[in-house]
Amino acid sequence: MRQSKPARLLRLHFSERDRFHGAPLYQAIVQRCRELHIAGATVFRGLEGYGETAGIERRPIVVTIVDSIENIERLLPELESMMDTGVIVASDVEAIRISK
Amino acid sequence: MLQKGAAKKVTIYVNEDAKHHLTPLHEAILTFLLHKGVAGATATRAMAGFGAHQVMHTPRVEALAEHLPIRIEFIESPEKVETVLPTLYEMVDDGLIDVQDTEVVKAASREKPRSAAKIQHEEQRGRARLMRIYMGESDKWDGEPLYDAIVKRLRLMDIAGVTVYRGILGYGVKGHTHKSGRLPFSHDLPIMISVIDTEEKLATAIEQIESMMQDALIVLSEVDMIRLVRKDATE
Repeated sequence: MRQSKPARLLRLHFSERDRFHGAPLYQAIVQRCRELHIAGATVFRGLEGYGETAGIERRPIVVTIVDSIENIERLLPELESMMDTGVIVASDVEAIRISK
Repeated sequence: MLQKGAAKKVTIYVNEDAKHHLTPLHEAILTFLLHKGVAGATATRAMAGFGAHQVMHTPRVEALAEHLPIRIEFIESPEKVETVLPTLYEMVDDGLIDVQDTEVVKAASREKPRSAAKIQHEEQRGRARLMRIYMGESDKWDGEPLYDAIVKRLRLMDIAGVTVYRGILGYGVKGHTHKSGRLPFSHDLPIMISVIDTEEKLATAIEQIESMMQDALIVLSEVDMIRLVRKDATE
């Protein structure tokens, strides 16, 4: 079965070293997304980069989150309160869900 | 080889003992410039000097002699300088880089110039679509990793570009968390494949890969594509 609908894709850029209440920020964000029943979140670690925070010990982290426009709206203030420095980028996408 | 006319002169001041990944910084800079095909570069050790740290470096005092300034100088076309400057900017984390306009009056070499190894490429611009396919690392198709099978299939379809990313943590359509296992071979990390091509080609690609996947999330977005194609490759 194939379902297609308009959605929002969020990309959060911050550093591997960033923490939230003692845990790595990316873990905390994935955890929060689960609690809020967000469709999915994936964490990627870059090899090198620079931005708000830089340095060899601080590799860049990108979290991508995809969900409906309403759910992303609901999630955004939560993320903003968890992130100290970093960038949040949002774009309109079409999400296709394949299930059998 | 350098041509007569307008050019740029770049002067870099560093300390003799500055290091770049364990090699002396001035050596690393020269190696980099040579590798980039810069016409020529010269490093000179200064007699004495001082810099931003406001310490006089002089060979008369043994302890200060180690930190003598090194000056690296090269002259190149403005375009070439523009291509090497970002890396130099990264490499020199303690020092000074100075760029001046200059004019080459004579550039003579007894050796024949090597054929210009300039990269010939054609630029294709236009609207395109970016497709992201999310799956797990342990997902299989016909006995092989699903992401491998998908990349093969897309290559067969002459899709412009495909990249596979492995995430470090995530969850998705199936609800379970993808993370690295306790054993080195028990990984089930999230995998994301990004694919870029025209809307029509991606539509047929989705048809093809849909049958290969049990549970999947595909995300499509509009992008502006700038594609650099080797000229010799198209001939």
